[in-house]
Amino acid sequence: MLRAGRAPRILSVTELAQLLRGALDAGVGTVWVAGEISNLKRPASGHLYFTLKDDRTQLGAVMFRSAAQVLVFQPVDGMDVVVRARADLYPARGALQLYVEAMEPRGLGALTLAFEQLKARLGAEGLFADARKRPLPRWPRAVGIVTALHGAAIHDMRTVLARRWPAAAVVLRPVRVQGRGAAREIAAGIEDLNRLADVDVVIIGRGGGSLEDLWAFNEEVVARAIAASTVPVVSAVGHEVDFTIADFVADARAPTPTAAAALVVPDQAEVVGALARAEAGLRGALARRVGQARERLVTLDSRLGDPARRLRDLTLRVDDLGARADRALMRRLAWDRRELAALGARLERGGPPARLRGAREQLDAAMGRLRFAAAMRVRHARAALERTAAQLDALSPLACLERGYAIVRRGDAAGPVVSDAAALRAGETVALVFARSRARARVEDTEG
Amino acid sequence: MAEEAPRFEEALAELEGLVQRLEKGELPLEESLAAFERGVNLVRLLTQRLAEVEQRVEVLLKTEAGRLIRRPLEDEEQ
Repeated sequence: MLRAGRAPRILSVTELAQLLRGALDAGVGTVWVAGEISNLKRPASGHLYFTLKDDRTQLGAVMFRSAAQVLVFQPVDGMDVVVRARADLYPARGALQLYVEAMEPRGLGALTLAFEQLKARLGAEGLFADARKRPLPRWPRAVGIVTALHGAAIHDMRTVLARRWPAAAVVLRPVRVQGRGAAREIAAGIEDLNRLADVDVVIIGRGGGSLEDLWAFNEEVVARAIAASTVPVVSAVGHEVDFTIADFVADARAPTPTAAAALVVPDQAEVVGALARAEAGLRGALARRVGQARERLVTLDSRLGDPARRLRDLTLRVDDLGARADRALMRRLAWDRRELAALGARLERGGPPARLRGAREQLDAAMGRLRFAAAMRVRHARAALERTAAQLDALSPLACLERGYAIVRRGDAAGPVVSDAAALRAGETVALVFARSRARARVEDTEG
Repeated sequence: MAEEAPRFEEALAELEGLVQRLEKGELPLEESLAAFERGVNLVRLLTQRLAEVEQRVEVLLKTEAGRLIRRPLEDEEQ
């Protein structure tokens, strides 16, 4: 093959490789290549090794750690990607290799893919489970807010919080909400607010923006901080339609910062209304309770009507018995006196003195028995009266008074019973009749 | 201050309890009256507290040493 006169230049292998590398650089340079990832390896070095292929060709590829670590999504086998790469020869193995500087998923945007990937991963971990969601406090002492110091979000939230529930303090932890490092700041903000004892709920949020603007709220570090928070976290990323990862992990999601502020505190106007209703409830219940007690007194009073009559009847009967006893006694005494007179007359007609003596003794004895019998009758009658009175007592208003009720009478203790404050005028004197005592009182005021 | 003024929610819970007990109508008259007076006082206290309160707005800052500082948010910072 070698021809004389034109001695070919013989290259070393290394020289050839250098020649090829120069040709590749000059002829191909940096290109965008579409292909499918296969045989992906991710060793501890952090570099990514894979094969980029289409249906006819495959090329080895490497993506160094510095480039790989800024990927928002995770490349996996079978994924269609577009890479920006430089083709070069790897001299040690003589292999052509693509040195990948950047990678985008095909079809979806990189962020969309990253979002879907993180969502699937955290979802599988159970971070979005309803069982993890904590209820928001009804009466937060302080509301912690992680957002930008300037901007519509904090302004809107302050306005709503001040109007609805000024009783809660607002603690703002200012952070950058977009750009590099924003996610880490937001996560740190959630952690810091968790260290304050009076912060009972945390809002993280920002006004609306593009997917890129909201990106910090889609990062894992924020999701982890929300999950680790000891107080409930409300996510308020101003985006009505799309959800962020933070929305999924948070205990509650609000479409806007304004809505989040309304979510975490009660409405003062409603609470004032509830307090007014509570007061009306108290008044109504007390009025009913007093009415109930009054009704019971009236019932007792009417039930006492009959026994009182019985007491009067018994008094009459006892009086009657007493009178009859007296009459009987008098009749007996009159009879005895007549007997005595007859005896005396017979005596004067000349009866023996011994008989007279005997008769007198007989008379004295009869008088004694008579007095005793009469006294016994009266005593029996009194005992019967006392028994009945005791029975009555059990039913009497006195027993009721023993339990703490008092009867109000107009004027003095003999005045008419007052059963309604409406019958009284301020300044009027009333008697309070207790079980064993009474008091005079003056009416200060009447109500109801 | 913290001792004499119960937390809003505690006072409100007490009020709700008083209304319920009173509405059941099972309390002796004297206790009903006491419950009523306590309840009305709580209503006044809570309403007044809401009327008086002004929102405190603070900003939480972190020092170089990692210490957290709360200070009132100045309006010019807005």
